[in-house]
Amino acid sequence: MLSRNRAAYAFLAPYLLIFVTFWLWPIINSLLISFQNTRVNPWRFSLSANWGRLFGDPAFYNALYNTLIILVIQVPVMIALATVMAVLLNSPLLKARPLYRFAFFAPVVVGEVAYAAVFRLMFSADFGIINKLITSVGLSPVSWFDNANAAMALVIIAITWRWAGYNAIILLAGLQSIPDDVYEAATLDRVSKFQQFVHITLPLLKPIISFCVVLSVIGTMQLFTEPFLITNRGGPGGGTETLGLLLYRQGFTSLNFGYASAIAYTIAGLAVAISLLNLMLGGEKK
Amino acid sequence: MAKIKLENVVKSFGAYQVVHGANLEIEDGEFTVFVGPSGCGKSTLLRMIAGLEDISAGTISIGGKVVNDTEPSDRGIAMVFQSYALYPHMTVRRNLSFGLEMNGNSKADTARRVALAANILQINELMDRRPAQLSGGQRQRVAIGRAIVREPQVFLFDEPLSNLDAELRVQMRVEISKLHKQLGTTMIYVTHDQTEAMTLADKIVVLRAGHIEQVGAPLDLYDDPANQFVAGFVGSPKMNFLKADVVEKTPDGAVVALSSDRKVRFAFPLSTEISEGASVTLGIRPEHFAPPGEGDADLTVAVEVAEHLGNTSYVHASLAGETVVIEQPESRHRGDRRHLTVGVPVGRLFLFDQTGNRLR
Ligand SMILES: Nc1ncnc2c1ncn2[C@@H]1O[C@H](COP(=O)(O)OP(=O)(O)OP(=O)(O)O)[C@@H](O)[C@H]1O
Ligand SMILES: [Mg+2]
Repeated sequence: MLSRNRAAYAFLAPYLLIFVTFWLWPIINSLLISFQNTRVNPWRFSLSANWGRLFGDPAFYNALYNTLIILVIQVPVMIALATVMAVLLNSPLLKARPLYRFAFFAPVVVGEVAYAAVFRLMFSADFGIINKLITSVGLSPVSWFDNANAAMALVIIAITWRWAGYNAIILLAGLQSIPDDVYEAATLDRVSKFQQFVHITLPLLKPIISFCVVLSVIGTMQLFTEPFLITNRGGPGGGTETLGLLLYRQGFTSLNFGYASAIAYTIAGLAVAISLLNLMLGGEKK
Repeated sequence: MAKIKLENVVKSFGAYQVVHGANLEIEDGEFTVFVGPSGCGKSTLLRMIAGLEDISAGTISIGGKVVNDTEPSDRGIAMVFQSYALYPHMTVRRNLSFGLEMNGNSKADTARRVALAANILQINELMDRRPAQLSGGQRQRVAIGRAIVREPQVFLFDEPLSNLDAELRVQMRVEISKLHKQLGTTMIYVTHDQTEAMTLADKIVVLRAGHIEQVGAPLDLYDDPANQFVAGFVGSPKMNFLKADVVEKTPDGAVVALSSDRKVRFAFPLSTEISEGASVTLGIRPEHFAPPGEGDADLTVAVEVAEHLGNTSYVHASLAGETVVIEQPESRHRGDRRHLTVGVPVGRLFLFDQTGNRLR
């Protein structure tokens, strides 16, 4: 028995070793580092160097504000959009469904750098197609990269484009688990399609919507790619700097790993707190 | 209250035709059962009446009005689904009231109808539970309740009892029968269980592969089946079919001999022409054999198994390769016998031609 277990652990050892070295240890170590002043050599324990600084740092509050703004606007818009897309995808009238399913899912598969480059081109102030469209309907062009609000909007549009289809596919799976005859019964009960959506589809989809919201919250809390690649490292002037970017700037530009670790733990803590809140609010009332 | 009329109703799914010109009249207040083997188009026919499937050709009218293009909710029908199709996130009370609420029915009237349905079905203690917290039989009641509150002109049931265990099925069967007496509404009931059909129906519609084979009162189908399919479908255990040949034509009929035992012969009065040497099939129900010597011919079969049910016994026997089931008065004390001789009264025999049509 014992020798059999030993053999099993021997087979597991390579994985366990990698798991401990690159996963468990960094998690523990970054917590320890977050309590050290890493701007002096050698590093020294200090509560105020990072955690103390965090709560008075305008750059942190700016990044937190930006992240939460994106979260509050983008997540609901995207989930609503994804739900509508899923319902359309589920329509029996739709032909070539697999094609659409693939098309909606494709943005996730596209390389981040390539997609960022295309967005930069499309939203370019002078020769981007988006500004062409805007001016063609008689509005003045938007300087997407120089105006902080426009840049935020751009980031939100980009993330929504990238992840709405992904969430739609998850929601579609949920929709398909609702039996057709429930809708048939409702149709016989003279319940309109819209009423069916509000009173049957949405309540039955609620656990899946909750799941998508939690996934999106976690994703947005860690947001990095779009503000880094599309809006020039959180530009203009920190206008789209998110917590993820701030972490990167502190850790890898300033090499202040203690502060970066404190930010990392803050991001994780906030993501957990918001997700729990969402689960509590969306939970079944017995 | 409404009469239903189907005229040359056809249903195709793409190029695949599944209902071939059904003609049927259902009287007001009648309990009609559609019965037939799996895939014969019972559900499709019912769903066309409900408006959940469109009609490829022909007309359906309810209460004298053609409803081909009428919305399902405007046809005055209510349907009970095989899978119950309850709203899973709503309490029983809300399941019953939801449709009425959505249509702006007054609160007081909705409450009255829900209370009435709950009383009829005795589900008062279940009103605040969700479907997941109910047993199969209770769910079925709720599904019927949801149909009752609509106060429809016609009830449609699609195999409502097939998910229940045998005992509950019998119990619910009786309750549905009572419900029909109590409400007096036209009901159409789909099943593939011939016992359910026989016990519930005023009128049975036997379907096979999209064709209506016969329509009639249960005992008419039992006593006078139009063809071999109906004869085999109605009655339990099934009617026995034995191969036979016409050996002699008589002025008013023919003499038929069993293929397996040519000494066993029966003289049939027939009004149809039949040629000598034609192959035919003889049908006799297990319960219609007579004691030896009391029929028009005796038949000796090799006993394979005897099932003793207490009040009666079914003897499964073979006759030169053909299986015969014979109902015997309770016979467990008679000991095992290898052979059994029974009498066959010609009056109980049915004669079918090779395509299964009844010869008479
Ligand atoms: N949506 C559909 N598309 C194509 N064919 C269908 C569809 N619905 C039913 N059919 C076909 O129509 C025929 C009749 O189906 P139906 O469901 O009416 O059978 P049924 O008599 O109710 O059988 P069961 O006793 O198994 O419920 C079957 O051959 C089935 O394959
Ligand atoms: Mg069916």
